[in-house]
Order: sequence, then C-alpha cells, then structure tokens
Amino acid sequence: MAELLTKFPRRRTVLLASLLAVGMTATACSAPGEDRSSTQKSDAAVKTELGTDPITLEMYAETGFPLAKALADEFSKQHSNVKFNIREDQFTVIVENAPRVMASDNSPDIIRLPTMVDLVKDDLLKNLDPYFTAYGWDKFPASQLMQLRVGENTRGTGSLYGMGLGYSVTGVFYNKKLASQIGMTQPPATVAEFEELLAKAKTGGVQPIMQFNKNTAGINFPHQALQNQFGDPTQVADWIFQKPGATFDTPAALKATQTIQKWAQAGYFTKDANALDYAGMVGEFQKGNGLFMFNGDWESANLDKSMPGNVGFFLFPTESPGGKHVAMSAPNTFGVSAKAKNPDAAAYFLNWVHTNAKAREISVTVGGSSPGGPSDLPVPSAAPNTVLAETLKASQQLGTENGAVDFTANATGGIFAAAITPEMQKLIAGQQTPEGYVKAVQAEYQKELSR
Amino acid sequence: MNLSRREQLTGRVFLIALIVVTLLPFVSMLSAALQPRGTVPSGLEWPSDPQWGNFADAFTAANMGALLRSSLLIVAGVVPVSVLIATMAGFGLGQLRVPGGRIVFGLFLLGLTLPFEAVVTPLYYQMQDLGLLNTRWAIILPLIGLYMPFAVFWMRAHFTNVPVELSEAARVDGSSTWQLFWRVQVPLARPAIASLTILMFLWTWNQFLLAIVLVDDATKRTMAGALGAFQGQWGTDLVLLCAGSLLILTPTLIVFLIFQRQFIKALIQGSVKG
Amino acid sequence: MTSALGSAPTGRDDRRARPTPTRAHPFPWARAAGTGWLYVLPALVMYAVFVLRPLVLTLQYSLYDWNGIGVARWVGLDNYLTVFTDSDLLKIIGNAMVLIVFFSFIPVALGLLVASMVRRITTGAFGTVVRTILFLPQVIPLVAAGIAWSWLLSSNGLVNQALRAVGLGGVARAWLGDFDTALPAVGVIGAWVLLGLCTILLVTGMSKIDPALYEAARLDGAGPVREFLAVTLPSLRQEIGVCLTVTIIAALASFDIVYISTSGGPGLQTTVPGLEIYRLAFSQRQVGLASALAVVLMLLVLACVLPIQRLSRGEKP
Repeated sequence: MAELLTKFPRRRTVLLASLLAVGMTATACSAPGEDRSSTQKSDAAVKTELGTDPITLEMYAETGFPLAKALADEFSKQHSNVKFNIREDQFTVIVENAPRVMASDNSPDIIRLPTMVDLVKDDLLKNLDPYFTAYGWDKFPASQLMQLRVGENTRGTGSLYGMGLGYSVTGVFYNKKLASQIGMTQPPATVAEFEELLAKAKTGGVQPIMQFNKNTAGINFPHQALQNQFGDPTQVADWIFQKPGATFDTPAALKATQTIQKWAQAGYFTKDANALDYAGMVGEFQKGNGLFMFNGDWESANLDKSMPGNVGFFLFPTESPGGKHVAMSAPNTFGVSAKAKNPDAAAYFLNWVHTNAKAREISVTVGGSSPGGPSDLPVPSAAPNTVLAETLKASQQLGTENGAVDFTANATGGIFAAAITPEMQKLIAGQQTPEGYVKAVQAEYQKELSR
Repeated sequence: MNLSRREQLTGRVFLIALIVVTLLPFVSMLSAALQPRGTVPSGLEWPSDPQWGNFADAFTAANMGALLRSSLLIVAGVVPVSVLIATMAGFGLGQLRVPGGRIVFGLFLLGLTLPFEAVVTPLYYQMQDLGLLNTRWAIILPLIGLYMPFAVFWMRAHFTNVPVELSEAARVDGSSTWQLFWRVQVPLARPAIASLTILMFLWTWNQFLLAIVLVDDATKRTMAGALGAFQGQWGTDLVLLCAGSLLILTPTLIVFLIFQRQFIKALIQGSVKG
Repeated sequence: MTSALGSAPTGRDDRRARPTPTRAHPFPWARAAGTGWLYVLPALVMYAVFVLRPLVLTLQYSLYDWNGIGVARWVGLDNYLTVFTDSDLLKIIGNAMVLIVFFSFIPVALGLLVASMVRRITTGAFGTVVRTILFLPQVIPLVAAGIAWSWLLSSNGLVNQALRAVGLGGVARAWLGDFDTALPAVGVIGAWVLLGLCTILLVTGMSKIDPALYEAARLDGAGPVREFLAVTLPSLRQEIGVCLTVTIIAALASFDIVYISTSGGPGLQTTVPGLEIYRLAFSQRQVGLASALAVVLMLLVLACVLPIQRLSRGEKP
C-alpha cells in the first residue's frame, strides 16, 4: 500500500481514478433492483390432491422443538411418496436468515416464520387464501388464524399467510418443591401476590425467576405479561398488528418496564441473565435452580419427562382479583414460501396437521400445544397430573376468556432484534431507564413502519 | 553473545505461560466434550467416565463426511486456479513488465486492505443474478478474485527479484515466452508458490463470511462456515458443540502438524515479506 | 485473511531487480505481440469481476435506499449522514476502535516483552514446539476460537472456576454477557488469536539484529531497558509495523469472533461494523445503509493502516 501512495506519481493516481469512474458509469446506469421484478404467481388453481409422485418437501424448522420432525415422520409414514428434508436452526438464526433464504432459489417449501408483514411485503410468502377456500378452513374458529392474516401493511385482517403447528399458550411454570419450601400453596391470584412470592423466594435463598435474556430477550415474556395486565390488552394487540396510531409509549408499557426494572434491581432475575440462553434457562430450571420460569406450553412434554410431578403451570395472574386472564398465545407459525417447489403438498401437509387424528395427537403429546383445527374435532387429552394437562386446560380457559394476544416481539421484522432485545438487556443491567426503554422500542417501530 | 542463565530462565517461564494460555481453550473444550450428554459441564474437570461416544454423535450430527468433501472441493476449486493465474500475472508484471503494468499493479494494491464485508453485499446479488447462490461456485469464484491482490503482489515480488539475465539466456535459446515461463520460471518460483498455496489453503478452509452469506446449505460450505452452522444448530448443547468443534478442527490441525514448518514459514513471510 | 496484508517490496529488492540496462525491454517480442498482457489478464479479469465490480456497486448502493428486493430510491448522501449521526452506528464504529487496543496493542506489547526475553530461544527442538503451539490459534478457524472462548468465559467456564478457586468468586460473572466486560472479553479472544503470530514475527525479526549492536550497547553501560529502547525497538520497526497493520485490520474488520461469541450483545456492547453490515444488508434489508457503512469501514481501515506503513518504512536506513 505504501508503494501505491508514496511512489505513485499523481498522474497515475488520476488515471486510476478515471478507470474506476468508467467502471462506475458502466454499472450505475440503472438503480439497484430495477431489473428484478417480483414473480408472485397468483393463479388460483390449487390442488388438494397429494398424488403419488415422489416429492421431497424442504422444511426449515427450529432446533430443540421436535414437533415439526415428529409430524413430518408421521406424514411420511402415511404418505410414502413424500419425504422431508429438514434443516434446523435456532430461532434467532432463523430470524436472521429467513428473508435471505426465502429469496434464494433454494427456498424451503415450509418454513418456521418469525414475523410475517415484511415477508409478505417483499412477496416472499405464499398467499394461502386459495387453500383456505379449497380445504374449508373457514370451519376453524376465526380467532385461531387471525394472527396469521396480513392485510394492507397490518396484521390481523387480510389474506392468510401461515398456519400453526400447534397453537401455544404462555404462562409461568413453577418448581413445586421450591414452591412448598417458600410456602406457596396455590398459584397466585394477583400480580401483587406474585410479587410477594418473588420476595419470599429471594429472602428464602431461592432464585425467584429463571429467565434467559441472551441473543433474544426472554425477559420480554414477563414484561409483556405485566403490560397485558396494566392496561387494555387491545392496545397491545393493535400495536402488534400495526394499526394506525398505535404506540408502545403507553402508561401500561411504562409501568410494566418499571416493574421489570424493580425486579432486576431486587435480584429476582439471575445475575447472568444476559448471558443465559433459552436452553440454558430450561436446563437450570430443570435442575431446580429457579422457582418460576416464564415460558410456553411447547416445553410441557419435555418438563414432564425431566421433572415428573415436580412442575406446575399457571396463567400470569390478573392485576385485581377475579380479573380477566390475558396471555401471549400464538400459533407456532409455519408458512409456505412464495418460491416453494411443492406448494400444494406443503398446504396439504398443513391441512393434515390440523385434521388428521394421529397428527393432532402428536401436536399435543410432542408439541404440548393445542392442535387447533375445526372446532368440532376433539382435542386429544393428556395424561392426568402432568403439566401438559395443566397447560392444555389453561389454553382452553384462555380461549373461553378470549384473552389471547400475540407477542410484542412479533410486531415488526426487526423490533425484537433491533430494539427489544438490546434495550431489555440494557434495562436489566441498569443501563437504560424505563422511560428510555419504552421510547426506544417505539422509535424503532416507527422507523421500520416508515420504510 | 550469550544470554545470562537468569535471562534464559525468565524467558522460558514466559514462554511456557504463553503456551499454557494458548492450549487451555482446547483442553477445556475437550473436557466439556467428554461429559455425559445433557449435562451442563463446568470449567475444567476430567470426567469420571469420559464419553468418547460423543464424538461419534457429533460426527453424525455434523455430517462430517459431507463437510470434509465440500471443503476439499472448494479448496480444489480455489487454490490451483488462484496460484496459477497469480503466478502468471506476477510473471507478466514482474518479469515481462508489460506496458501499463504499474497501473494494473496499483489496481491490485487497492484491494490489499479491503475488508471482505465491503463487497459481500453486491457479491450476494451478483451470485443471485448468475444463479450460483447456494452452490460452491458462489464461494469459489469470489475467493479467487479476492485473493488476487495478495497473490499477485506476492508472486510479482518474487519475479521482480529474478535476474533478467535468466530470461535473456532463454531468449537466446529461442524458446517461446510460455516455455520460458513454464519450464524455467515456475520451477524456480517453487518456494514462493508453495508458501502461497499453503496460505490460500488455510484462508479458504477457514473462510466464514462468504460461506454463511452465499451458501445456506452447511454441506456446501467451507469448514469454518459449516462450524458456524453447527453452532447455529447445536449451540445450546454444549457437550455436543465442543465435541463437534474439536472434530471439525481436527483435519486442519493434522495438516498443520504435518506441514508445520512450511506453514509457519509461509505465515511469517505472508505477513512480513512482499 | 487477516495476515494477507503483505508489505510492499523493499527498496533492496527493486535495486537488485534492475541490474542491466536491458531491463526496459527484456522481451521485445512479447511486448510487440502483447502476449505479456495475456499473462496478466486472467488474474485481472477475476479481480475486476469479483472485487472491483462489487466495490463499485457498494459505492452505488450506498447512495440508494434499497431493501434488496424491490426498486431502489436515490437518496444521495443520506446513508452517510445516518452513519455519522446515528448514535448506535457511531457506538458500533467506536467498538471497533476499542478492539484495536486488544487485537493490536496488547499482542504487540506482550509480543515485544516476550520476544525481548527469549530472543534466541526459538531455535532447536524446544523452539519448534513453541512455534507450533503459538501458531495454533492462527491455523484454526476464528469461529472455533469464538466457540472455545465462549465456553471458557461463560458462567460455568474455566475462568470463573479459576477465580472461585482462588477466592475471587465475587468477581466471577458471565464475561461475555456483562455490559462492562463483554467488549474487553471479545478483545481477549482476539488477543489470544493474534499474540502467537506477533510474538513469532518479533522474535524472528529480533534474531536478525546484529549482535554487535548489543555488544556496543553493553559496552556503553546500557541496562536491559535502555538496550531495548536503543537497539531492539528501532531495529524491529518494520516488524512492528507489519504486526500493527495485520492486527488493526483484524480488529476493524472483525466479524467471525463476534458473530459466534456474543452476536453483538449485550445491548450493542460488542456489535462491530462487520456484523452490523451483515445484519443491515441481510436481516434488516437496508442494503443502502449497509453499503455506506461498508464504505466507511473501508476508509477507516485505510486511514489507520497507511500512516503505520509510512512510519514503519519511512526513514529506514
């Protein structure tokens, strides 16, 4: 390099520059992307027959969640001409990769989706409306698929772009042995009671909450649980669905953030929460190193196996006694890529997951979640005295109370990675104020919506 | 000049401390890799019942056979071509002194400090347009281009030092330029070429960024890219992760230990000498 | 590719290469036929297609607002304005500068210390073993270094185990997850990778110093410190320059280690430009901004490396 700059006569450098300039004009005659037209075929002719030709379905699923693979295996057993090629990554990696993978020519047929609006906007996701009609998914409760609909830049209404491999409910798992040790005889009925238990655990030398916060903010679970209670949950839902005028900068969100800050300062989370990942959290909880863990029913089957009889579950309590339960509840969303080679077979599989008796049973026993599907089909039951049975019951209770909301982390494509996660990490480390947190999340949200 | 005994002793102590620090991460990984699956190992503790079977599990989980094959294919695609065309260019610039050669050389120098991040985005779209995304070509072709600044620089430096009389003599013999290049110059350049080959092998094998951006299928990546994918999938299973990482390291280590003398020479020259 | 940066051929080489007056036209026939160009062309074509063209495109993209899929919108220098005003992006660039301390200054300083102590130890069998081991971190993928050190620095890792063993359990923490220690911890990984290389380079350079210089210094009554300052340091100027160049590029363009060990967290504490370019371009689909950051990174590398190259070669005798 030295030679270039010190020994090169100026004349030469000028020549170089002009050479580069020539290259520049040669490529710069058109704006990037001008020759890349989107190729979304919207022909409505869809097949609901699987046929007998050998097919390999490419699936992109999440590591550590055996449900997708279990369902795929069962499907192949029933339909021998269909094989699955499953690629797995951790959820954070999928979030990072999804747009790129789906835009490539090797896009998977079925993919575990993070958030959908951007993917729809970029024509990367297949519109499932034709299949909705063809398969008669209108017999499903409308609320079940609501979160999977994307309309004109909002979610909750519009066309269908995904289906759930199970429909999950979240809440609080607790270690029964530790609970009785601190004198907890029944699940708390109010937030205040819950906080009393946290304080009791802390003074009793028991780690109150085992929650991950590395890579993705697991503390957003308790945060949103509080936020749902401190205000009108439809405000939260509107924000997630990108309804015009919705904001995160609400008293409810602020109060929730202040509470999380208070908990962090009181040492209710582990000291290394920012370095604890999801699997680490589950591992520690299983080892009996924490009283509570905010998590979803997808972990039920696993917990029944690793700590049989020692784990319970409750929906996050209400602010005032006898209030309405609200919980984050979402489909384990899978979509069909716009570039899928076998979209019909992929849709057939998704329909089968909801309607086939064996598949529904697998959804419950392996996935731990309600299988969804038409309301007239029975929900397979779980063995009594398991946490699986408790989460299924909670799921039904939430259904009757109509208290399901989506995750705030799903509001936009980048909100979780670009705002919630880093800001939450700062918050619990004392590097961010509650006011700053709420404003930062809303700022990122607006930035993304304005793009 | 003799170093005093004390000086030598402190020197050795320092070196040994340095060696321990260098080796500890590997040892710690090994101790974790041998713990029973599903446990959360801690620090450095020799397991009472070492689970060597973890390596077998990792071998299957990582699909080692396919990974090795893929890395070798990529190396085979990158290294010979890069070395050949860089040697030719070095010859052209250093011996033939083609007119305008200095400008061309200046262009190459431009790329010498270029971080790969600076071009990876356009490369992605370029590969997409060529229909090569998710194939090994998507790694091979850009790497050849990206290695050119260093490789040409390296070979030119060699050829600049070869006395021109040699070529004069060949001219008297009446041999063509190609004969001169292939029969006389290349054999003479063997040490420079050998070092360059080693460096390129290493950089290709360990290339990460291009692999994860341009190829999604881990079995079509370089070793480093595949290791990244392995971490992406099994990062939460520490025991398996450590076993897999060590496994993926092994081929490089074996090659390094066999050729260590040449490797070290190449690496030192690679950074110091032009 | 960290050690890819060679230094320009020394003047010595050039002088030796031009011994005869015929050098201007060694191959008149080749010149006439332009065959010489045929030798240069393949390398030039590959370089032009896969480096220069993308480079020009990066410059072009940086002037647009583009999501990578739809049609782009011309925004002029807005993306650059964002790079220089967005507090997050500035912090990210700052992180890379902090890493220079760890990737560059520490290995060079430690390397000098060790080198001056061992000067001639790297000969013989012990020397071979030492060199082989110190080079291991250079040979393995940075990804592997990241994985190994993530484990070492984790809550249950060896570092904390050692601290607890000596009664310093209070300091134990998840080093890569703690706001105060994450960036230095990433820096330590880089230092580990580059220390061996620097040490060996410096030791090799030192072995070339004329022992007479030391003799002379000793006769003048110089102690070890003055000897180091008066003889060792000036003689190693070129090697130090090389070490700094290579390691500074490694720090500024770091990606692999951060991607694996922290993914840029906690917060943005360890996010570096390389990682942010990748994220912006491929996850958040802000290709224009990513490209502007890439251009800035490129210039930053040059701004740091060129002065060092000049200083280390400048008035060398």
